[in-house]
Amino acid sequence: MSSVVQGLAVQPAKKRSSGLLTYRTRKRLVPYFYIAPATLLFSVLMLFPMIMVFRYSLMDGAIMKKDAAFVGFQNYLTIFRDAIFWQAFGQTLYFTVMSVVFHFLIGLAFALLLNTQRIDPAVRSLLRVLYILPWLFTAVIIAIIWRLLLDPNGVVNSVLMALHIVDFKVEWFSSTATALHALTFANIWAGYPLYMVSLLAGLQGISKELYEAAGIDGANELQKFWYITIPQLMPIIISIALLDFIWTMQVFPLVWMTTGGGPIYSTEVLSTYTYKLAFSQYEFSLASASAIIILVISMSVTYFYIKHQKGR
Amino acid sequence: MAQRSSKRSSSRSILPTVLTYIGLAIGLVFAGFPILWMFFSSLKSNTEIFALPPKLLPDVYTLVAYASIFDDPVKIRFFINSYIVAGVVTLLTLLVAIITAYGFSRYAFRFKNTLNIFIISTQTVPPITLLIPYFGMVVAFGIFDTYFALILTYLVFTLPYAILLMTGYLNTLPKELDEAVLVDGGTSWTALWRVIVPVSVPGIVATAVYTFLLSWNEFLFALTLTKSMDLRTVPIGIQLLMGQHAFEWNEMMAMSVLGSLPLLLLYLFAQRYFLAGMTSGSVKS
Amino acid sequence: MKATKLLATAALWALCSTAAFADTTIEFIQWWEPEMPAGALRGIMDDFEKANPGIKVTLVSGPYATTRDQIVVGAASGTLSDVVGLDGAWVNGLAKQGAIASMDPLMANAKYDAGQIADIVKVDGNSVMFPLASFVYPVFVNLDLAKAAGVDKIPGTRTEFADAAKKMTDAARNQYGWVLPLSLQNPGGIQNDVMSWTWASGGSMLKDGKPDLENESVVGTLEYIKSLHDAGVISPGIFAKKEQDKVEEFVNGRVGMMVDSLAHINLIRERNPKLNFGIAALPAVDGYTGKRGLPYASWGIGISEGSKHKEEAWKLVEYLMSPDVNGRLVSIANAFPGNVNAKPDFSTSDPLFEEAFAIFQSGHLANEFVGLPVAEELMRQMGIEVQKMFDGSETAKEAAANAQKQWLTKF
Repeated sequence: MSSVVQGLAVQPAKKRSSGLLTYRTRKRLVPYFYIAPATLLFSVLMLFPMIMVFRYSLMDGAIMKKDAAFVGFQNYLTIFRDAIFWQAFGQTLYFTVMSVVFHFLIGLAFALLLNTQRIDPAVRSLLRVLYILPWLFTAVIIAIIWRLLLDPNGVVNSVLMALHIVDFKVEWFSSTATALHALTFANIWAGYPLYMVSLLAGLQGISKELYEAAGIDGANELQKFWYITIPQLMPIIISIALLDFIWTMQVFPLVWMTTGGGPIYSTEVLSTYTYKLAFSQYEFSLASASAIIILVISMSVTYFYIKHQKGR
Repeated sequence: MAQRSSKRSSSRSILPTVLTYIGLAIGLVFAGFPILWMFFSSLKSNTEIFALPPKLLPDVYTLVAYASIFDDPVKIRFFINSYIVAGVVTLLTLLVAIITAYGFSRYAFRFKNTLNIFIISTQTVPPITLLIPYFGMVVAFGIFDTYFALILTYLVFTLPYAILLMTGYLNTLPKELDEAVLVDGGTSWTALWRVIVPVSVPGIVATAVYTFLLSWNEFLFALTLTKSMDLRTVPIGIQLLMGQHAFEWNEMMAMSVLGSLPLLLLYLFAQRYFLAGMTSGSVKS
Repeated sequence: MKATKLLATAALWALCSTAAFADTTIEFIQWWEPEMPAGALRGIMDDFEKANPGIKVTLVSGPYATTRDQIVVGAASGTLSDVVGLDGAWVNGLAKQGAIASMDPLMANAKYDAGQIADIVKVDGNSVMFPLASFVYPVFVNLDLAKAAGVDKIPGTRTEFADAAKKMTDAARNQYGWVLPLSLQNPGGIQNDVMSWTWASGGSMLKDGKPDLENESVVGTLEYIKSLHDAGVISPGIFAKKEQDKVEEFVNGRVGMMVDSLAHINLIRERNPKLNFGIAALPAVDGYTGKRGLPYASWGIGISEGSKHKEEAWKLVEYLMSPDVNGRLVSIANAFPGNVNAKPDFSTSDPLFEEAFAIFQSGHLANEFVGLPVAEELMRQMGIEVQKMFDGSETAKEAAANAQKQWLTKF
């Protein structure tokens, strides 16, 4: 790894003295030196498995059968005909969109609160640490905590009952009416700190002069926020929201460890649907087809991101 | 400095300050209560965790859960493994992400969009389905059951966001900064490390924290790509406490608390650079 | 640069692995090491190595919940351990995948007396798994709760059980007669807590190896648990509950009765030494006098198809199944032996084990899910139908019919 970097550093100087390449050629090649390490890594490590998954998706009984035959897009048709797939699809969209929106809102709110000059610096430093707490834990333990907190006899119910917000023990994860919302809530809780930290870094990168200039022009706080803060943060917001969308589409351990997709199919999402196809039904070809469908959905969102980038 | 005091005097009304504190308090309960509850649960006996009505504070404080972790060298090893893997991944990710982001941010070149889409698309296949072919590849490389396998894997998991975040951050820095170095006869490479990196510290720290946490908490690949107890990480240690018939609730909580403490310290340390970044922000423009 | 580094690592690794193989090292993947007292399984392996010079055993241990996935992935890429710990619900899929081998040739080779194995699990006629240790599921009764509720006899029939459950239920005090875990993550509740009622009354969910869910016995079981649900005697949170939650509620005296693994006796004693509880065979339908089927879960053992050391692997299987070692292992794990000649020593165990052993010997082991294709998926599909039945969207008959329809597509 490090030698790649050293090569990068040395190369331009060497070539200048050897004079083998013209200055223009060298200049054209420079960006490729910068992107080469990442491109190489991704090509070696990710391209092959992704192609394999696509290949499985075109076969009948991949992995399970020694002589699995190609069946074209048959597996995709099977998936599209499955009503549970469409239910999982809708629930995944709800789960993902709600998560991304609230991750952003909460992350931004916390970042702004922590960035004001109104509060004591010591308090600010302390809260900066405390607010990222949910981020420090692995998905398994987050699932365990929320399962216990949201148990019918858990803390959340007893607090809500003491405050007279609910008057019976809500079965958060085990009732079809509430399970998906409870799960989405747990995921929102677990995921906002990434936004908060990234936006906090972004806020601190915004030049003070912009605000001063706006202040001289008579802009109020809200206008400064709307016309300076948000546009300045936009590249960061779009990047995180995009990747968060892709990641949340695939959230697996949290869903699996809390509800396993139930009760009935009320929290079935595409990742649990895919997992069950692969490891419970041993239908790896169908599971791969389902994975490729997730890929296509995520890619179409990526396409909008790239278009947005071009527009800028 | 002058600007800061002018801001303070402009907010004459006390109301915004009060509202800010109220907002902060609500946020604190939201973020902190589950963790606080978990912390106190790690000090309870397994039976008391299920006591009715549920209580936040233990009736009897006990350190059994912590003792059974510290008494077991195998469990301590989980922590060391997690540090090694997450630490190396963070360094490598930062290095590669900064270089790549610089390329993306400062140059126009063919295939830029294609490459961008490709990098992001590697994130779009659910890991659970990628597992089998990926695992086959790791075995073929002969790096199955090594740190190296985990480090490489986490590198490709963390890089896409790291690159996007760093690119976004570098885009906010004016190109005049690099040009000054080029005019003085330096290369873009020296411009990157001498000028750009020092003013990008907040972005770099945010990326580092993200990378470290993601590699620290990953479970699925850590389990599959290693088989020796000597190489297993904390998330697997936690799941090993979830038995076929019973869970060691308090010990799982204790292991999570212990796992999070160093992360907290790391973040506290990183915070200083956030603040440093704030003042260096004036360098820009 | 990366490629050469990779190559170097690969070469180094290959070198090490060939140089170190003066002894044959076999791997043994299982989830039992963390379930047993620290060092217990390793100790047995050390004794095996002493008895078989030239063979070394490496234990590959993982969490129960993910062991099956690891076996599937390992088999797909040719890295599966030589000896494999198995659950009855997994074997069909693993055998079809070609992950686990038939042990018949190995047995024939060794002139092994198969009669000493309590129960050989076969897929397509091939012996693929020996249950090494079996964990029986009787009914656990909280005796103090029962007494306070005026239940003076441990229920032996379904009617008695329903009566007792009703008496013990006091929702205002958070106290319920029964607990039923129907989480879909691990749908084992269908096997242990639902279908077990059918087997206990001599019923079956199969006919000639095919699903037969619409028979009187299965529908009767579903109607029975539905009646318990409607009577409000089941502790809330059913649809997300797991076996590990079930036992905590019992430990805390929140439920009067549960169908549960004997493996939990020590745990209950340890977590709540004051709890006064007893065990009994699972209640049967009123008037049933035949032998009662006892639901069980087992730690099974098999050999990997891809193993290059099948002879050595077989030696380990044979060793673990031998009367002495088997008896020693199950005494540590609080299970019943897989070798009919093994004499487990329960003298240092809880007195309840003696009682359990009596129940064990008076009934017969019954778990019809063992060896079925995609057994876990079958349980999950049935779990969903039971959930729908509890939610009131279908009757017991409809639930059985729907599950039957789905099961038929898997056979």
